[in-house]
Amino acid sequence: MTRESGRPLSARLADAGVDRRSFLKFCAGITATLALPAQMAPRVAYALDSVDRPAVIWLEFQDCAGDTEAFLRSRNPSVADLLLGMISLDYHETVMAAAGVAAEKARDDAVARGGHLVIVEGSIPTGIPGSCTVGGRSAEQILRESVRGAAGIINVGTCSAFGGIPAAGPNPTGAVRVEDVVSEIPVVNLTGCPVNADNLTATIVHFLTFGEFPARDRFSRPLFAYGERIHDTCQRRGHFDAGQFAEQWGDEGHRRGWCLYRLGCKGPSTFHNCPSVRFNGGTSWPVAAGHGCVGCSEPSFWDSMSPFYDRLPHVATSGLDLTADQIGVGVLAATATGFAAHGVGKVVQHRVAAHRERQAADRLAEDAETPAAETDGHGDGDGSGDGTAGAAAPAGKAVPSSETDGGRETGEVK
Amino acid sequence: MTAPAPATDGPAAHEPAAHEPAGDEPAVHGAAGGGPAPFVRVRVWDLPVRLIHWLLVLDLVALSVTGFLIGTPVIDPGGGVYWMSWTRTIHKVTAYLFIALIFARLCWHLRSPNPWSRWTEWIPSTRERLGQIVPSLRFYMFLTREAPPVVGHNPLAGLTYCVLYTMFGVEIVTGLVLWGAEGTGWASWLTGWLLHIVPLPTLRLIHHLIMWLTWGFMIHHLYSAILVDRVEGTGVMTSIFSGNKFLPKDHR
Repeated sequence: MTRESGRPLSARLADAGVDRRSFLKFCAGITATLALPAQMAPRVAYALDSVDRPAVIWLEFQDCAGDTEAFLRSRNPSVADLLLGMISLDYHETVMAAAGVAAEKARDDAVARGGHLVIVEGSIPTGIPGSCTVGGRSAEQILRESVRGAAGIINVGTCSAFGGIPAAGPNPTGAVRVEDVVSEIPVVNLTGCPVNADNLTATIVHFLTFGEFPARDRFSRPLFAYGERIHDTCQRRGHFDAGQFAEQWGDEGHRRGWCLYRLGCKGPSTFHNCPSVRFNGGTSWPVAAGHGCVGCSEPSFWDSMSPFYDRLPHVATSGLDLTADQIGVGVLAATATGFAAHGVGKVVQHRVAAHRERQAADRLAEDAETPAAETDGHGDGDGSGDGTAGAAAPAGKAVPSSETDGGRETGEVK
Repeated sequence: MTAPAPATDGPAAHEPAAHEPAGDEPAVHGAAGGGPAPFVRVRVWDLPVRLIHWLLVLDLVALSVTGFLIGTPVIDPGGGVYWMSWTRTIHKVTAYLFIALIFARLCWHLRSPNPWSRWTEWIPSTRERLGQIVPSLRFYMFLTREAPPVVGHNPLAGLTYCVLYTMFGVEIVTGLVLWGAEGTGWASWLTGWLLHIVPLPTLRLIHHLIMWLTWGFMIHHLYSAILVDRVEGTGVMTSIFSGNKFLPKDHR
């Protein structure tokens, strides 16, 4: 593809069979997606019409091409056309016509000109040397070379943004996210499995209109798309607040469209605009289709959000798989049993000690009848160990002392 | 065994507290007629400590019940009543109270004039307190019958409160992260960075587990209080209501 400067986008779109009305509708829709005020729509339209098409390099690493699929299979027929009209997609392994050396050259040329956008799909394997090698260059090399002089990086999908499924434990390929490899270039993470094509389009439009990426959260995700929890904008939220839950797949509550919280929906832990933008041209989204959210747009979702059909993660080891409540009840039972046993032990200890004291006192009384008994009148000065060691002590030593209960409670003081 | 001597304990316990003696100069009871058991009444738990203690108990019950219901909403849904919303609201309001109580207790640790309300009671730092650790351990391990003579807590008991308050701290922080996730800006600003280290569902799990551990602590706490009450005979169980313990005169 070559760069085409000079002609406005609307003219180029007209050539492609997209009329001006469709273009303006697109601009209004994308302005709404970006959560910009409606008055901004003309500015978006003007900016898009006059902007020079930026070169875009789309890289695929450890991915399933799901983000490419989502992008290409957008149900809105004009979006892909518009996007292809807005940008100059110079390199995309799945859709480009060029092959071999020519394709690699197209990428290198775009990088040489600079100011391009790099869209990355898939995580980068660092644990296996030479993996994902294309044209003699490894994934990491390709990424490092492609972002040189780039205006920005757009990570599409959770794999390039957070490592995604390839980086899930035990991460056999040593998969890392893009931000672990490159820095000092603006990054926007469009997470999701797959990315929502509308959010990708909106991000590019924002870049073309304002010359920068939209405001982002702590994980570099644009706030217009990831600023609110799924749970807080969910169409089933009313059922949550009313305590109406589906408890089994296909039960009465499930058929009536009640909240999927108890079936493990991760909407309360997930930030995405799925409920409002939906997928495939606004057709549907998982919760609308009756399946709980699995939290695919969150960091380490494959590990941290599982089990997908339970409310909380389990505490699992090789031999155990326990829920928090099982552990909790176990802790309470163990604590209660342990302290009950301790209490019994203390009672026995005191009974035994009291018994020995009585015996010792009896013997002392017997000894007192014979004058030779004045051997040790000071008693057990140490006092410690009188419960167990008392048995080994000489009979005369076990006089009740100030360290024992009897001594204290009758006011005998040292 | 350790049945308290009724001749001394009874009247002393019911004597109206005409003046509240400071911890340093305890009032002497039961020794007026040169009786056999001179007990001193010591104001061990001052009013803020007792107030915070009982408010915490009520608050923990409310937080645990609402928190458990939020995690496992088992109440039969009738519809029409937004009880989940109410439960979460109560959980949040009581959580505010909880944070305030913990904060107040920590402040009182630093500011209280009462030596048994201060942080030194929880963290053994003096030679005397450190020296009581082994005797306390021997007491709990059945090696001695008597706990070491202390006015407030023995150092091991004090240390368990450090563990408890660490758990409370984790509970507050994880709660604030969850709160921030709902869009509460200040909570997100304060604690949201934790999400770079621990995923949100894991924080939920920790938040839930500590609730159970807190009730495990409650069992331990109640048992230990009864044990010490029986063994020492100083009125530990009533002290958390009245604030007073009755100690042998030779104590301290």
